[in-house]
Amino acid sequence: MKRRDFLVSALTLPLFASIAGNALAADTLTVLLPPWGTLPKEMTDRFATEAGVTLDAQTLGWDDIRTKIITSMVAGTAPADATEVDWSWVGQFGAAGWYEPLDGKIDQAVIDDIPTASIFRYDGKLLAVPYNNDFRILIYNKAHLDKAGIKAAPTTPDEMLAAAKAVKAAGIADYPIGLPLSSTEGASTAWYLLTKAFGGDLFDKDFKPLFTAKDSGGYKALAFEIGALKDGLIDPASTGLKDVEVQELFKAGKITFDVAGWAGNLALYSDPAKSQVSGDVAAALMPSVTGKSRTIGLPEAVGIPTGAANGKAAEAFIAWVTKPENEIAGYETLGNLPPRLSVLKMLNEQGKLKQGDVLLAQAAVVEPLIAQGTPGWYPQFSTAVASTINQAAKGQLSVDDAVAAIAKAAEDAQKD
Amino acid sequence: MRSLISTLPGRVGTVLAVILLVAWSLGPIYWSLVTSLTPPLHLLGAPSLWPHQITFEHYAKLFGATSLSQGNAVQSVWPQFSAALANSLITSVLATVVTVAIAAFGAYAFVRLEFPGRDLLFVAVVATLAIPAYTVMIPLYRLMISLKLIDTYTGITLIYVSAFLPLALWLMRSVYQAMPISLEEAAWLDGAGRVYTLVHIVLPLAAPGLIASAILTFLNAWGQFMVPLVFSPTLATKPLTVLIPEFVTRNYIDFGLMNAAGILAIIPPVLLVLFLNRYLVSGLMAGATK
Amino acid sequence: MPSSSPRRSRKPGELVLAAALVVPIVAIMGGLVFWPLATSVLDSFYRVDPMRPGTPFVGLANYSGLLADGNVQTAWLNTFAYVAMAVVLETIGGMGAALLLNRVKHGRQWLLAITVLPWCLPPVVNAIVWMWIFNPSYGLLNHALLWLGVIDARKVWFNDQATALFLVSLVHVWRMMPLTAVILLAALQSIPRDLYEAARLDGAGPIKSFRLVTLPLIAGGIAIALSQSTVFAFNLFDEAWILSGSSLDTRSVIIQVYLTAFQNLRFSSGMALSILAMIASLLVSLIYVLRVYRETRYD
Repeated sequence: MKRRDFLVSALTLPLFASIAGNALAADTLTVLLPPWGTLPKEMTDRFATEAGVTLDAQTLGWDDIRTKIITSMVAGTAPADATEVDWSWVGQFGAAGWYEPLDGKIDQAVIDDIPTASIFRYDGKLLAVPYNNDFRILIYNKAHLDKAGIKAAPTTPDEMLAAAKAVKAAGIADYPIGLPLSSTEGASTAWYLLTKAFGGDLFDKDFKPLFTAKDSGGYKALAFEIGALKDGLIDPASTGLKDVEVQELFKAGKITFDVAGWAGNLALYSDPAKSQVSGDVAAALMPSVTGKSRTIGLPEAVGIPTGAANGKAAEAFIAWVTKPENEIAGYETLGNLPPRLSVLKMLNEQGKLKQGDVLLAQAAVVEPLIAQGTPGWYPQFSTAVASTINQAAKGQLSVDDAVAAIAKAAEDAQKD
Repeated sequence: MRSLISTLPGRVGTVLAVILLVAWSLGPIYWSLVTSLTPPLHLLGAPSLWPHQITFEHYAKLFGATSLSQGNAVQSVWPQFSAALANSLITSVLATVVTVAIAAFGAYAFVRLEFPGRDLLFVAVVATLAIPAYTVMIPLYRLMISLKLIDTYTGITLIYVSAFLPLALWLMRSVYQAMPISLEEAAWLDGAGRVYTLVHIVLPLAAPGLIASAILTFLNAWGQFMVPLVFSPTLATKPLTVLIPEFVTRNYIDFGLMNAAGILAIIPPVLLVLFLNRYLVSGLMAGATK
Repeated sequence: MPSSSPRRSRKPGELVLAAALVVPIVAIMGGLVFWPLATSVLDSFYRVDPMRPGTPFVGLANYSGLLADGNVQTAWLNTFAYVAMAVVLETIGGMGAALLLNRVKHGRQWLLAITVLPWCLPPVVNAIVWMWIFNPSYGLLNHALLWLGVIDARKVWFNDQATALFLVSLVHVWRMMPLTAVILLAALQSIPRDLYEAARLDGAGPIKSFRLVTLPLIAGGIAIALSQSTVFAFNLFDEAWILSGSSLDTRSVIIQVYLTAFQNLRFSSGMALSILAMIASLLVSLIYVLRVYRETRYD
């Protein structure tokens, strides 16, 4: 409260009284989500009738939601009654105290059924409930491997390199490995994932970097990326490609391995209307040097900002979103992979899940990126990681210099 | 005959310059048009100056109720698109009318009337051009909430006016300064009042400046993104610039749809410019008769 | 003949009229710009960081922190490069377009409409169109240059910093040049035609009459055009952000403001940087405005 008192007194404007800034009647529920969180109107109408509220669904582009939330919260008002919460924001929003703890407000059995819910805990408190499950999995073009005479999907990074070389040598794809190396979050998360594939972790329990030694997972992961780039296995143009653009290349059959594949994308890749490789797409567990596949979860959730005008209705909305039938509808209409394990299993049994068995096996080993939870300095760190990887890929930094720069960025981000 | 020959190089130069200007301005827009007509699956291929296969599916998605695209039902975005188009038009027109009116009268005061602090006030207002949007956004948001102007045309218009007034004011001031005062003085001698002179003599002469200010304000408002992103949360006032990025879906950038929307978004401002341009040209005639 | 206004006796009604005309400006600018600006300036002397309790007064610590930050320095250098390229290209191109529009007799309204088209394209679509043109594998630029024989292999344009800065500026110039053209065209249109006649009778050629008649009379317009292109170039964000994200090669000051305030939540530090950006663009604009007005004072 002190912070806001300051802002108010600095302004000498008696504005803070208008905490219920939306100035809407209490029976209106405003929900702010990205386009893929906006369920069809027929469905939300049903909710509105059941809950006896008017639903005001606000949609914003992905990059813009965060700007909107931060502007509103710093100004001291809730942007909506329920909003998008990305896993990477949890540390910041938790430290700022911007979201209402949801413990005890949502059925515990439901939370227990959502393995990724733990990623949304800050200081032990649940800040948001996932509506979209996302974790990384190896997606590959089976036809490319068949043509190159490779029988099975790679299980280690080295096997993947060998397979990529064979595909390139056979002239099937110019650049078999798809990996974003632009200065965007996608480049950072790809490196995090490979760090785990090489058996490493980003930080120890005191947030000291674990990726600077030459035998560390993080070092090997970056060396893998830069080596594959130099060997012509990754498109040199990747320094300008975001993750979604790499995915476009996969859909066009230009690349063999979508290394940082989004589990939810399997449905898209298998859709003949949207993909040229619909018949050839396959998934495998993330390769690993340890023999045990590891992957990271990067889910999205809904939470209730502090000061929301209609928190009660927002709780009802969150509970409604997690109902099995609504998660299934979200999967079928918007392609959001259900966060509830039981729902995933049900879909798989009904044969509605593409590559369902692999998906379920990978889902079982999903871990958070940072074991102690996403810290508040994560966004600053991750931006520095992306721009450093981008520099290394452009040949401006060596791998040694790059990991040193990333370690320094981690230190700077934690400093104050 | 001699004059024809002597002006020939000049004419060829003019024609070449026109071609260059047209190519520079239209080239990327033409490319946007081509993209909007290319089937999504063909976008990743060698670029060709005209799509091998033309599709209207992106426009159908914008206009049609529900259309079929390769066997899939595609949801229409027309209700959202048309609402956002209307919002863009309404806020831009309102901002233009208010800004030009205030600037036309206000700049006159800064040139022809004497009042304390005149030059200081003018410099201070023009200097606000340099303020980045981020600098004032959060205090402004707090203010708009307290005035209950979030998601209203009034709120957006007021912010646009405050952002574009300095440029319009400066432009109008320079127009009035270039105008000889003798015409006004003649009118005063005939017994005409200040306001009458301003409206009936000065403003018609300032037409090119007024039209240029209107074009500048309208197009600046049309392209705004940050302001409506924060101050227009719903389709009640949300403009095209905020709606179009929503076509970047989670796992798919709908290039075709974005470009189709961009091409349609060009049409209203171009019509307006064509319309206003008649007056910008007729301003020349007014200038010539001085 | 009494000509200049100060010598006229001030009628009592004049002050009332001036007040009526100026009050709307004072109210709108004061309430919606100066007030919020003052708040942000004040905030920049405190530590406003939502993730940390309290908002202690820190004096100039936010500003001194910015001076020491290597990323901020890079962003400044990039921004100065953008401003230099954008102002030069927009002024030359905009002046050329305005002179051409002023000269063309047939179809002028169509040519003007075509000239302002780039500005009508929503900024996001604009940046995306260019992103496709610059795309190393499928872009028009590589294909065209290969076809023309200018280059012999596809280039990844954004891997080279100088090229990247130039291309980002080019996208910005493409969008903003019409502004300069419209401002200068309006100034050109206000020049009475008989002045050119007089110059021609005095034996002045086109270049001489441009220098002696046109330039002095559109000096005010040039000052406005230069200042607005400077200010917009200092505020460059979308083009660099969409074309190459947070890359240090192309990061502008305003991108750094966004990252600091809205991504890292170091709010008052971001405000301090945005205020510095404002001051820098004011200072640069002031240089032109003063020069232009001083050198063209002809009355």
